[in-house]
Amino acid sequence: MPLFGKSQKSPADVVRALKESVNALERGGEKKAEKAQEDVSKNLVLIKNMLYGTSDAEPQTDIIVAQLAQELYNSNLLLLLIQNLSKIDFEGKKDVAQVFNNILRRQIGTRSPTVEYICTKPEILFQLMAGLVKCLYVYSELYGLICRYETQEIALNCGTMLRECARYEALAKIMLNSDDFYNFFTYVEVSTFDIASDAFSTFKELLTRHKILCAEFLETNYEKVFSHYQRLLNSENYVTRRQSLKLLGELLLDRHNFTVMTRYISNPDNLKLMMNMLKERSRNIQFEAFHVFKVFVANPNKPKPILDILLRNQEKLVEFLMKFHTDRAEDEQFNDEKAYLIRQIQELRPVPGH
Amino acid sequence: MDKKMCNTSKSYDNSENVDDDFENEREVNNRIFSVESDEELPPVSGGELWINDNGIEDDVNICNFFHRVDSDQIIYQTKKRKLKIIGKYVMGDLLGEGSYGKVKEMLDIDTLCRRAVKILKQKKLRRIPNGEQNVQREIRLLKLLKGDKHKNICNLVDILYNEQKQKMYLVMEYCVGSLQSLLDSTPSKRFPFYQAHGYFTQLIDGLEYLHGMRIVHKDIKPGNLLLTLGGELKISDLGVAETIDLFAEDDTCHNGQGSPAFQPPEIANGLECFPGYKVDIWSAGVTLYNVTTGIYPFEGDNIYRLFENIGTGNFTIPDEIEEPLKGLLLGMLRMDPQRRFSIQDIKKHAWFLQRPPRLGEEVPIPPFRGDELHSMTVLPYLIEHYYDCHSDAGSDIQFITERDLNGAKTEKRQTTEERQHADVEHEEEMEETDIVHNSETDTRL
Repeated sequence: MPLFGKSQKSPADVVRALKESVNALERGGEKKAEKAQEDVSKNLVLIKNMLYGTSDAEPQTDIIVAQLAQELYNSNLLLLLIQNLSKIDFEGKKDVAQVFNNILRRQIGTRSPTVEYICTKPEILFQLMAGLVKCLYVYSELYGLICRYETQEIALNCGTMLRECARYEALAKIMLNSDDFYNFFTYVEVSTFDIASDAFSTFKELLTRHKILCAEFLETNYEKVFSHYQRLLNSENYVTRRQSLKLLGELLLDRHNFTVMTRYISNPDNLKLMMNMLKERSRNIQFEAFHVFKVFVANPNKPKPILDILLRNQEKLVEFLMKFHTDRAEDEQFNDEKAYLIRQIQELRPVPGH
Repeated sequence: MDKKMCNTSKSYDNSENVDDDFENEREVNNRIFSVESDEELPPVSGGELWINDNGIEDDVNICNFFHRVDSDQIIYQTKKRKLKIIGKYVMGDLLGEGSYGKVKEMLDIDTLCRRAVKILKQKKLRRIPNGEQNVQREIRLLKLLKGDKHKNICNLVDILYNEQKQKMYLVMEYCVGSLQSLLDSTPSKRFPFYQAHGYFTQLIDGLEYLHGMRIVHKDIKPGNLLLTLGGELKISDLGVAETIDLFAEDDTCHNGQGSPAFQPPEIANGLECFPGYKVDIWSAGVTLYNVTTGIYPFEGDNIYRLFENIGTGNFTIPDEIEEPLKGLLLGMLRMDPQRRFSIQDIKKHAWFLQRPPRLGEEVPIPPFRGDELHSMTVLPYLIEHYYDCHSDAGSDIQFITERDLNGAKTEKRQTTEERQHADVEHEEEMEETDIVHNSETDTRL
């Protein structure tokens, strides 16, 4: 107990106080809400300081942090905070994310207790994702300034928390396998640039972080995922189109996704899409499309429908590729690949007997 | 050529032709270079740079200057820092030297990022077996990875060519040393467990990325794992790496050229083909074994003995290594590549998941030429060029004879006096040579 200054509140006290103020905030009422908001922020700062320390004080000992974490689990406060995130003030929202992320990273030996806790309470994840998505609908339906402001505030905070969760395979698995995951496909397309790109980075993290998990997910949910993905590639939003095309290239060329790649390049519709994208107005999109298109051509076992399309366009493709991005003279890799593709296409012959 | 120019002579007339002067200085530099490269001379004191590491051109015809001078009559000159700009990079000091060429520090003028540059000379590459092919393959791979910039790979930033000099400059991310240099700096040759754990998890992240990009590194070892000042590990040297074909059914590779002590049994036993990714797992296992114990799992007096030992797959783990680390090492060093751990197995292993307690002294990054902070070596060149040059040019330039050098240890004080003496004498003359220097600085690519 320090001789001067405020006496240290115990974790149980702080958590209880925070819970009461969040409850008050949830109930609302004009005057009360303002007071409650203040209390919430104050208690959040106390918790944050226990975890991170301040310029004057070190973070609390492991025992205190363990107690704090236990109190947070028992009081169900993590979920409560996320549910009421939009009502908490600006600094408070950031503090919620910081506290959440710190508690999530906590380890005892090989165990991550918070990860285990969230596994038993996946509502937290759904709330984080739903938080984003619900706001999107409000946004897209009303186009109101106030709504727009509010969505942004929560979206970015939820984004940091979600990405922190996505680092853990167990949590990433829950998110990938939930129906809410497919809302990301709408979400990355929203016209507010910072929200869309933040959502896209979460989306990408989920699809690339845990290689084996992602490969299994893509294999088992192939139809559903790629029919949604097709929409992104056809999006009217330039950024979405370009980002998703780039990610597609990365996914297909990753050795872990070998099975997915072979399946993708057997579908003539995908080839048609890429051939159209080669002719897009944007040079960047043309270039990204090239890196997916090359896989179709390089495939040593082209299925007949693919071969047919390439054969039908044999001359045109050769002519097109000859003139394709000729100013990239310094990019040897690209020029080698292009020359290889041209040779491959020129040498294409129909399979006898068909 | 006037003989007296190379001697310590008070009658030296500094109103002579500047060109002559310059050539003469070059010759002196040549000598300094050859003496330095034999590493016979101890450096006199930390502040001076004797070595002219800017690479003296080989095309100077030595015969023209050949004449006898007593060794104690030679004047050595401390190097004047010449600002050298290549493309958009300012050149700094030599960081290290490998079989393929020198590595120097650089500063990106546009972004002010510190970089390291590998300088490759075609002449030198031709002399190394497979030199050119290896470099070409490495560049190809580096370009492949350039787009993503994984944080645990030492990425290529830029490539510059100088056709005239037949040189190639590979601009890479800046690192301060390898795990090997850290190990060498401690008597026990190993890291405390928590430090080893921090590096190992990053190594596995980097490897997973490389394998995803269908690249087998084949030469994982502490010497190829570099560190940034922030303690981030970066896998480097793709010189013997191999790519798996996009449509290959599996990761079969056919040859191994990596460092012998880190090779797996299948290569030691000379198998025709073997699964590639498991080679890296084995080498990473030997690396982990090495950085936690300070010894190697397999040793041998020569490469045949060594391969014989590796080929048996029998090794022991010192008693101080306990579970779960022991289990991880046994899993990664399984003789049968099929049964050897995969990256996935490693990532789920208890030792990988836990954070070992911070016990024992962390091994710091060893200082670079006595500088613990690894200060930017480009800066002195810039300061000299822009701030010192005109106000008091030549104040740093000192002339020392061989005798001074030899006596440096015992008669330090005397030497400085002499140097100061010489300093005053030749101050004006140096101002003139400066002009020549600067005109050379403008050689751009």
